[in-house]
Amino acid sequence: MIDTIIIDGLAFALPMFIMAIGGIFSEKSGITNLALEGLQGFGAFTGGLAAVLVMQTVGSGSQLPYYVSFIAAIIGGMLYSLVHVVMCIRFRANQVISGVVVNILAMALTSFLTKRINEGVFSQTSNKFVLGTSVRITVPGISRIPVIGAVFRDVYPFEIMIVFIAVIMWYVMYRTPFGMHLRACGDNPHAADAVGINVNRVRTAAVIISGGLSAVAGMSYAYSISANFSPDIYLGFGYLSIAALIFGNWSILPTLGACLIFGFARSSGQAIIQQLGMPSTYNDIVRILPYVLTLCLLIFFSKHNNSPRALGEIYDKGKR
Amino acid sequence: MGNSGYIIEMKHITKRFPGLVANNDISISIRKGEIYALLGENGAGKSTLMSVLFGMYEPDEGEIYLRGEKVKITSPRHATQLGIGMVHQHFRLVSNYTAAENIILGSEPQNKLLGFIPHVDIRKANKDIAELSEKYGLRVDPEALISDMNVSACQRVEILKMLYRNAEILIFDEPTAVLTPQEIEYLLDIIRGLRDGGHTIIIITHKLEEIKSIADRCAILNRGKLIEVRDVADTSTAEMARLMVGREVSFSSEKTEAVPGDVVLKVEDLTVRSEMGYDAVKNVSFEIHSGEIFALAGVSGNGQNELADAIAGLCSVSSGRIMLNGNDITHLPIRKRIESGVAYIPEDRHNVGLVLAFDLSNNLALKQYYKDIFSHRSVIDRKAFDDNGSRLIEKYDIRSSNGCKTITGSMSGGNQQKAIIAREIELETPLIIFMQPTRGLDIGAISNIHKQIIAERDRGAAVLLISLELDEIMDCADTIGVIFDGRIEHIHKASELTVNEVGRFMAGVGDGGEST
Repeated sequence: MIDTIIIDGLAFALPMFIMAIGGIFSEKSGITNLALEGLQGFGAFTGGLAAVLVMQTVGSGSQLPYYVSFIAAIIGGMLYSLVHVVMCIRFRANQVISGVVVNILAMALTSFLTKRINEGVFSQTSNKFVLGTSVRITVPGISRIPVIGAVFRDVYPFEIMIVFIAVIMWYVMYRTPFGMHLRACGDNPHAADAVGINVNRVRTAAVIISGGLSAVAGMSYAYSISANFSPDIYLGFGYLSIAALIFGNWSILPTLGACLIFGFARSSGQAIIQQLGMPSTYNDIVRILPYVLTLCLLIFFSKHNNSPRALGEIYDKGKR
Repeated sequence: MGNSGYIIEMKHITKRFPGLVANNDISISIRKGEIYALLGENGAGKSTLMSVLFGMYEPDEGEIYLRGEKVKITSPRHATQLGIGMVHQHFRLVSNYTAAENIILGSEPQNKLLGFIPHVDIRKANKDIAELSEKYGLRVDPEALISDMNVSACQRVEILKMLYRNAEILIFDEPTAVLTPQEIEYLLDIIRGLRDGGHTIIIITHKLEEIKSIADRCAILNRGKLIEVRDVADTSTAEMARLMVGREVSFSSEKTEAVPGDVVLKVEDLTVRSEMGYDAVKNVSFEIHSGEIFALAGVSGNGQNELADAIAGLCSVSSGRIMLNGNDITHLPIRKRIESGVAYIPEDRHNVGLVLAFDLSNNLALKQYYKDIFSHRSVIDRKAFDDNGSRLIEKYDIRSSNGCKTITGSMSGGNQQKAIIAREIELETPLIIFMQPTRGLDIGAISNIHKQIIAERDRGAAVLLISLELDEIMDCADTIGVIFDGRIEHIHKASELTVNEVGRFMAGVGDGGEST
């Protein structure tokens, strides 16, 4: 049972982690990003569409659609994040409202488009792109180690990809000049501007990165939890990842911890249901577990939070 | 051009803002290697002129010549490339970065990991900054976080930031406004050292002694116009003051000996926790009598804000008591406190003192609007508001474009402050707290406010004056307390202390604290 908890927990936590990293990039640059939910959904939509199209030509046995879908998702998520960029940076809209609008728009737009495309291209009435679940990899040898071995058993390929991307993003954030500029923009954009950093350009890049990373998460959920793309992708995981990054104090490593807690809370809940043989109607109770946990953690963490100082502030050069 | 010997020539600079000419046909020329001071009251146009030079504003008319060549400075970045650096009054530092990270930001030394992955070479940065700080005698720990530094250290980081970028011309905007006397001496030494090293310095200030002590030449501005350029050595401070204000000014406020009466405010063992969660005020005790000005000196951030807020009821007290005329007001809500006799002129005019979006008559009635004279059965009496407003505007000479109906946010800082002081004095309370009452105001306005403070004392009020300006403390106080690190260790009669002693206490010297 512990093995299942670890395996399922990681499969849930890692996509959330990569989405939270996206959020950290955006927020550390000073742009509040509530749009993660919409970004992951939209990314999953473009990825799902690409996968279905590729599947038509190469058949469902190939691994090609899987990888194409992630690339398409990243591109889709990045493009869609431009909506948030234009609203927040070009038109200086309130970033919270823009984020919420981006989410609602994503939901409406993707359900509409999915239905129309299914009708028009595939001549069927459906609101989903059926993808199937991804293959899973088990590393021979180390996966036999008791308990810890579960980390290497039944691993989705996207989990490996996420770990890889996360390391790169950590490096970009804390070791490169770009990362340094980005964090400066979120703390004191005037200071950044004064030394010749183009604040708006850095922030634009940061939001686009958050779009791409959220899309990876959306696509991962489409391939694991739901096995298709449908409006069911909007389950609130985006909001949960925002909670995770706040508990992680806008730093990448502590955020990983928060994501793992959420992941294991969810998977152990599910394991308990199975163990006790509860009827399926109780599933929903378990689904709320991570959110209840969020509420409880909020009580403890709200005092320590160190949000970027210029978070949500519209940058106005003239204002001194 | 080119043979004039001037490093900077600004010719016929005019800069207009809506409804105001900030710079009106100003021409100044600055020699290489001199310290050039810009002197003027607030709103005289000094900062605007330097913002033009630093590329933050584009002038409407006029030309700038740099090293004999005509230039058009388009942005601060461009100015930096041209070798101009500016230390702003409000520092532009990233608070969660170290000193070194701030200094290198935007021009980081880089290295390649495994030959191709770029990364910031922070080790080299730390070393470079340590060397630079050594070279110019600017003590800075490269690895210390900005958020842990005091103002004076932050300022040194700003200066290093300019030097790291090879700035040849350094502009200082009111550099001494927030420093203790010892820190000021240290800074002036640094500035002299920079000049001797070949840098050209422009310093914006309205402190005459500083100009006298370091500047070579001085341009005096008034209401956007250049009045005169003088050699400092041949000009007395009194004359500079006259040129700056346009009339004779008396330096020290005239005041009679205090006649203290009964104890009005008694603070006992007061401890206040700041928003950040540490004790900002630690076991503080003092009393103020009626007819006495108790001036609290201290460097910014040593607990003054929390102390004033605790007495006014804006933040809660962890332990100790506050007694007003023998009644315990420690836990009274704010309105009860006002009614029992506490008036408060807060430091933050914009967020605490006024509702900027309201007009003047509303703001002037803010503490009494619910009383019978201003409202009947919970309906506001507009006419009473306006009458009250007009009366106070007249009495306190509050200048605004539209009388009672002026939105306070559009008024100048000096007039906003007049409005707050008018409202508070009108309450005629036994205790009145002035927190940094003259911050950012010019000499004329300052001497007026000092007169009002003394008049309040003479009326018989107990006055608590909290200020970062030592001159203000020395001018007004009957009794001086010095707060350092949340404690008031020194309370003396004003006549028994010299400026230097107060300055030392402010820096915590003699109490195991560090000096600068």
